[in-house]
Amino acid sequence: MFDLSPQDMQAIWLSIKVACGATLIATPFGFAVAYVLAFSRLPGKALLEGLVNLPLVLPPVVVGYLLLLLFGRAGFLGRMLAFVDIRIVFTLAGAVVASAVVGFPLLVRAIRIGLEGIDTHSLQAARTLGAGWWDTLLSITLPLSGRAVLAGMTMMFARSLGEFGATIILAGNIPGVTQTIPLAIYEYTNTPGSDTMAMNLCLVSIVLSFGVLLLSEAATRTLRRN
Amino acid sequence: MKCRGVILFILLAAAQLVPMVADAGEIHLSAAASLKNALGDIIAGFAKTQPGSVVLTNFGASGALAKQVVQGAPADLFISADAKWVDFLLQEGKGLAQSNRILAYNKLVFAGKQGSTVTSLADLPGLQRIAIGTPASVPAGKYAEQAMQAAGVYQELAKAKKLVMAQDVRQALLYADRGEVDGAFVYATDALLAEQAKILFVVPDTLYDRVTYPMLMTESGAARQEVQQFFRYLGGTEAAAILQKYGFEPAR
Repeated sequence: MFDLSPQDMQAIWLSIKVACGATLIATPFGFAVAYVLAFSRLPGKALLEGLVNLPLVLPPVVVGYLLLLLFGRAGFLGRMLAFVDIRIVFTLAGAVVASAVVGFPLLVRAIRIGLEGIDTHSLQAARTLGAGWWDTLLSITLPLSGRAVLAGMTMMFARSLGEFGATIILAGNIPGVTQTIPLAIYEYTNTPGSDTMAMNLCLVSIVLSFGVLLLSEAATRTLRRN
Repeated sequence: MKCRGVILFILLAAAQLVPMVADAGEIHLSAAASLKNALGDIIAGFAKTQPGSVVLTNFGASGALAKQVVQGAPADLFISADAKWVDFLLQEGKGLAQSNRILAYNKLVFAGKQGSTVTSLADLPGLQRIAIGTPASVPAGKYAEQAMQAAGVYQELAKAKKLVMAQDVRQALLYADRGEVDGAFVYATDALLAEQAKILFVVPDTLYDRVTYPMLMTESGAARQEVQQFFRYLGGTEAAAILQKYGFEPAR
């Protein structure tokens, strides 16, 4: 009944790898940016906020194209990375970068809401008791914003599982290297006679996303109890 | 006040239906991506002989287009880069068998950066990334796969995951042009349009089926005069001259 070809299994594994990679790489940066937006009083905060939210409002294909211009052979970062023999375009790294960039606004948004919900009196109390910045971060800020960070990571992971436009432009459709589930489904929808295969992958995608949401709910409940 | 708002809304909604009625004289053409430039000129030439005619084009991979037609997309005329997809449409009962005629022929080449040392299919395993159209839906990819299988290099390249799948032959050309891949299998006619990429070698004829562009009129299309006229124009001398200009071999 449920027939998944080896190429499909590769696509599923790649999707999981890319989503995990993108979430893990983006979370520290996302937390840092959310911290700056929530607590600091920088003059250019509105500009930073706009820049962070840009991938959210731009069509993913546009994001992918801009990343291609940046990381391509003739691009600014592309040429620098070529010196240290790192390639982004048409590689797994490219798929991870595409997912990370597209999901970044969602991550920052969720974490920022969590950080802004922390009672500043607790933070001030910590300062008066002599706790340094790092100490405050680890003992008060992180634990209190844990649920928000988890929510942000979940959204980022789920968004990465479904990322198509930026991925196909920056990372291309390479079976076994960058062909994630959405790309595989797209290839099937373009091929006559492949509707059953497309449907199978769609079901896998739904089950995966559902699984992520359930896991996240369970983790959130555990954090709340603590 | 409220009554006026409702009337205005109904008028606006009705106005959306007008374009559908004015649809009558349009010719829906689904054609292989490699014919884009040549057909553009042919349509312009046809418009001079039949002023007021409107040809709506839909270019893409022949396999993907065939699937769209079977799923009900409006198409009066279908031009494929592979006889397989015309046969597929006839099998699905979507075309007029009598209208099945060949428009032109083409050749497969390997295009890449200037200064590349690749001279034949045997040199391919030494490259890092090669772009081909997805074989299951893009004829150029199918011909490329055929040629690579015949030369004995396909399995090696597929296992090393060096093949980048493009949506249609023009996307494969773009990858080669941008230099993001070491080379791409495209048609000779596409390579002529490339800005940076050059033809590195011509794929030997014996290794793949001849690239044929068959045409097919759907039943709904054949019933209309404009479509018949355009179909005849495609088989005429002006169209053949344009095809030749772009590097195709007209079937006349």
